[in-house]
Amino acid sequence: MSVALQNLVNQPYKHGFVTDIETEVAPKGLNEDIIRLISSKKNEPEWLLEFRLNAYKKWLTMSEPDWQNVHFPKIDFQAISYYAAPKPKKKLASMDEVDPELLRTFEKLGVPMHERAALAGVAVDVIFDSVSVTTTYKEKLAEVGIIFCSISEAVQEHPELIKKYLGSVVPVGDNFFAALNSAVFTDGSFCFIPKGVKCPMDLSTYFRINTEGSGQFERTLVIAEEEATVCYLEGCTAPQFDTNQLHAAVVELIALDNADIKYSTVQNWYAGDENGVGGIYNFVTKRGLAKGVNSRISWTQVETGSAITWKYPSCILRGDNSVGEFYSVAVTNHYQQADTGTKMIHLGKNTRSTIVSKGISAGHSNSSYRGLVRITPTADGARNYSQCDSMLIGDQSGAHTFPYIQVKNSSAKVEHEASTSKIGEDQLFYFAQRVIDAEEAVSMIINGFCKDVFQQLPMEFAVEATKLLSFKLEGSVG
Amino acid sequence: MSSVVSHDYLESLLESLPKDSTDALSWLKQLRAEAIDQVGRQKLPTLRDEEWRFTDISPLTKLPYRPSQAAADLRLADIEHLFLEEANNRLVFVDGHYAPQLSNIIDTENLVIGNLSELLSSQASSIQPHLGQYAKFQENIFTAQNTAFLQDGAVIAIARNTSVSAPMHLLFIATQKEVTSYARCLLIGDTGSNVTLIEDFVALQEDAYVTNSVTEISLAANAQAKHYRIQRENNKAFHLANCAVSLAHASRYQSINIALGAHISRFNLDVQITDEAAECSIDGLTLIAGKQLSDTHTNIDHLKPNGTSKQQNKCIIDGAAHAVFNGKIMVRPQAQQTNSSQSSRNLLLSSQAHVDTKPQLEIFADDVKCAHGATVGQLDHEELFYLQSRGLSEDAARNLLTYAFGAEIINRIAITSLRQQLEQIVLNQTQSR
Repeated sequence: MSVALQNLVNQPYKHGFVTDIETEVAPKGLNEDIIRLISSKKNEPEWLLEFRLNAYKKWLTMSEPDWQNVHFPKIDFQAISYYAAPKPKKKLASMDEVDPELLRTFEKLGVPMHERAALAGVAVDVIFDSVSVTTTYKEKLAEVGIIFCSISEAVQEHPELIKKYLGSVVPVGDNFFAALNSAVFTDGSFCFIPKGVKCPMDLSTYFRINTEGSGQFERTLVIAEEEATVCYLEGCTAPQFDTNQLHAAVVELIALDNADIKYSTVQNWYAGDENGVGGIYNFVTKRGLAKGVNSRISWTQVETGSAITWKYPSCILRGDNSVGEFYSVAVTNHYQQADTGTKMIHLGKNTRSTIVSKGISAGHSNSSYRGLVRITPTADGARNYSQCDSMLIGDQSGAHTFPYIQVKNSSAKVEHEASTSKIGEDQLFYFAQRVIDAEEAVSMIINGFCKDVFQQLPMEFAVEATKLLSFKLEGSVG
Repeated sequence: MSSVVSHDYLESLLESLPKDSTDALSWLKQLRAEAIDQVGRQKLPTLRDEEWRFTDISPLTKLPYRPSQAAADLRLADIEHLFLEEANNRLVFVDGHYAPQLSNIIDTENLVIGNLSELLSSQASSIQPHLGQYAKFQENIFTAQNTAFLQDGAVIAIARNTSVSAPMHLLFIATQKEVTSYARCLLIGDTGSNVTLIEDFVALQEDAYVTNSVTEISLAANAQAKHYRIQRENNKAFHLANCAVSLAHASRYQSINIALGAHISRFNLDVQITDEAAECSIDGLTLIAGKQLSDTHTNIDHLKPNGTSKQQNKCIIDGAAHAVFNGKIMVRPQAQQTNSSQSSRNLLLSSQAHVDTKPQLEIFADDVKCAHGATVGQLDHEELFYLQSRGLSEDAARNLLTYAFGAEIINRIAITSLRQQLEQIVLNQTQSR
């Protein structure tokens, strides 16, 4: 590997800094009192406290899973602070009132949100360490009846919707980390698209992790009623920290008859340094329920950050003719680990699912694709196509594939393909012939490798993703 | 399954172990003692074990447990229909016990072939370095049981640069009900040798029994072996098999496993590519119906560079049968230039049939070519229509396509009479629908 390339691979985390804002932090540790504290801080109704306590009781009976292909020191759940909020301020009337320190943070990140929001026509609901600071375009969306707000706001203003849908896709006892999230989630986004409405703009939320040592437990709930359509974007960057931070989010999507939800993620959290010290643990439960006939749920993810990425955005295809899609690029470098994939549970008739997963591992990293395709006896005529390709860069990295295929219906058709490769000498030679240097050639080859997934991303995300990959990998081959 | 049940099961197993063995050979005693120790330590796998997630062997524990006694005398005429005309070298084991009167050995030049317990004293120096060295009983309770009961078994050792033209036919016959028989085979191929081995599991009765089979194969540099494994136990049997293969420099191993019988069967194949440029090709065909469960787990471990592995596994599943396939390919950091391909194809013939397949790749080397694929489906409507448009009835068209699906694997068997026998079985099974 040439020196220049080496430098590119090892370039420090661009978005690494800590914003100095006073925060109110709950004492470390988890018990019923902490949950009651979170609930009362957020002024929550009684039933939500019950929901949390129920989840906490379930969590106490569960043990941490150990089947995953990622390794990390045991997490001390009593050493985490479960609530951190910027000091309460007076309600903000306009952008000018936002803390200038905060605005500078976005500046540094390259996300001048007011400008960007205006230019791109994107409503940005900024999550800054668990409490929503400001929401834009809310009125515009409200005109067509769309509710897009933080989940704590939704709890106050639309409790009937939250009560109906929260935990309906990911039950409180679903898994260890989902139970933990259900007990202590502090904030997140809520999105409700009423019947027949096509959301006029892409919705996006920026997740940031800020207070050192505070785990973030986001909760996202997206509901698309009959004939509704929404495209939801989630993008993340985080400051550079030495201590590991746990991030255990839960995302629930519900699509009713003929509804269409497209959920895209670009994740670039701090991945630890080149020796694998520090970095975010990203243990997320994401699940979509295609409840109605002809509904569609599509997950697209570009995972480049986090010390450990461990998530399986899934689709439960209950409605007849419903469609599930999963497009993923996972890039790991240094000592990063990723165990990601999807689950497609076919319940309805003529349900279809597509899985395209691309894994790129460099340095000492390991990436795994773990997927489940289950065709139940009721899913007549179900169809699945899966493709998972891995690219290895350097001889210290590893790529793993664990596809589980369970078919209980003879009319089903399931196909799975996987391959592993590296960037060939002859490919680089071909580029060199055309006077394209190795760095650029690698970048082009990798972008070509990931094309199937990037095509699924909204325009501005596709650009960001391409950039991210270049940061991460350019020059890992030489 | 509760741990209490498996505990009882193990208790009864330990009681039935041979207590005072008369083996003069201390190393063998030692080996058995270690295996007995492992049997006591290990638990019977349950659905909670990842490796046994889809295969529930709890029915096994409901069977009264006893090791098989020496078998009632079978006459040559009783089993003649099982012979293969090309395979004149034949070792017959009845309920796990060697039956010399039914066996037939013609080739003895430059090779050793015979029963383990008889060869132990004369061939100890060639057997000892291999026996129990590949099939790891530390990790598998069934291998541990088999090793603990080690008595009779086939030993085949081919000398340097010797090519044996006639295949070695090992016939394992079940005649007693509610017993466990232990089948054991050790094949040692010295440098440059070449041999074909057939393991054939059959039953001459209709009741439940257990076959616990362990096969170990060691191929030295440039050695070649073809290994055909025909499992046609009766439909109440339990068949638990472990096969471990170790491949040295530029050796070649071809395995074809045909699973037709047994109520519950499990076949573990573990191939270790321990030196450069070794090749293996592993094929499997599972043809099951009714309430059968057939589980195939393969593990190909590329430890050294330039290895090649090819694998094709096919399952035809009818009735309420359940097929499981788990194919793991491991490419270690050193194993650059590995070329590996794997495919799992599954044909579901009925609405209750079901399959769990998991082709698994674990790759730690970057300069490799690895691909795998899996499909599950039913017969192609267009293909059916094509045949029907040529005047075949729907049934005939279905049978033909099903047969052709399985024939791809069977056609790779180089022994004509065996191939014909199997073709007939597949044909009968497809037509009986």
